[in-house]
Amino acid sequence: MNHILRAALSLMIVIGALAPAFAMGQGYRLGVDGLACPFCAYGVEKKLSEIDGVERVETSIKDGAVIVIMNDGAALDETAARQAVQDAGFTLRGFTKLPAGDTGK
Amino acid sequence: MIPRAGAGRPTSRAVCVAILGIATCGNTDVYAAPQTFNTALPVAKGEFIFREQLFYRNAGKDEGPDDRDLQVFGAVSVLGYGANSDLAVFGVLPYLDKRLRLDRGPGQRVARHTRGIGDARLFGRYTVFRRDRRGSNFRVAPFVGIEAPTGDNNDRDRLGRLPAPLQLGSGSWDPFGGLIATYQSLEFQIDAQVSYKVNTGADGFRFGNEFRFDASLQYRLWPPDLGTGVPGFLYGVVETNVRHRARNRIDGVADVNSGGTSVFISPGLQYVTKRWILEFIAQLPAIQHSNGTAIEDDFTLRAGFRVNF
Repeated sequence: MNHILRAALSLMIVIGALAPAFAMGQGYRLGVDGLACPFCAYGVEKKLSEIDGVERVETSIKDGAVIVIMNDGAALDETAARQAVQDAGFTLRGFTKLPAGDTGK
Repeated sequence: MIPRAGAGRPTSRAVCVAILGIATCGNTDVYAAPQTFNTALPVAKGEFIFREQLFYRNAGKDEGPDDRDLQVFGAVSVLGYGANSDLAVFGVLPYLDKRLRLDRGPGQRVARHTRGIGDARLFGRYTVFRRDRRGSNFRVAPFVGIEAPTGDNNDRDRLGRLPAPLQLGSGSWDPFGGLIATYQSLEFQIDAQVSYKVNTGADGFRFGNEFRFDASLQYRLWPPDLGTGVPGFLYGVVETNVRHRARNRIDGVADVNSGGTSVFISPGLQYVTKRWILEFIAQLPAIQHSNGTAIEDDFTLRAGFRVNF
């Protein structure tokens, strides 16, 4: 019986430890007009990364799209995203909330 | 006239400058995407871009009797800052090493040399027109600035005071301005710039005013197809620079052996990533119409990097 309890306890500890790693925040797909070279993409990513709650930003330059992944429980405000893209010198074309678990890949 | 230490008499200065007749000894017009002039692409608000460019210029085409040969090594540091999405300010500081060899008599060849900080430039660029499309953009941006006399304009060697064109600085506050247009797509980029610089002069010497037209084509050579993410771009580059400089003036008198018009054609390469850029270009004179016996260029090599902070 003790073995079963110990195994169950260990499993709960492992699951508890790994849970944050598997937790996925909300993802957003931003269409950014004007983005046409790698050096300019950095400015867009940096400005978006400065928004509170942003965990990760990834650009697909071919598609003119930027995927923003938020921290668990955080949401991206469209106005803040538009301002960040504007501050980088470009234009926000589209703002789409991705389905849960979708990282845009 | 403002008195200056070590200045020769007007006649001797006129002779000295006329003998040399050297045009610009160091090009400090190095900023962003093209390698020999500026671009209208944005600097993000609150962000910095740093650029360092090394160059070597050789000018040894001399039709005069002195067989002059000018070599200039330089390192030009540029810091750009995005005040907002439309306004960017730039500071440019060159470090120059100039060496002139010339005949001073039968069998007597001498070298004159100086090195140090050149004239710094500060200018602002404001985007007045912007059209962003998916995978492309077009921008037009005028700019205005000032070249400050941070370089020594009274350097001397064992032969006396160096002639004005060989000095590190002009000694004068010189305003300049112009207009840049940039079209950029995922495949290529075109930049064009017109600019004018008014040289105000100092200590009785004034460089001729300068007009420039510059154009650049950058074509993506690699990768041929864009995958996901942001791959590094390798661009093949061709730039051209058209420069016209009016004659220098010494105590109000035009120096007939100075100024002129030149056209450079410059092939190069540029590798661009999100955080940094490596670049190289060779400026080759295609047309040179120098006034009198003004010395002419052989070539200029430039190599450098840029970093996004």
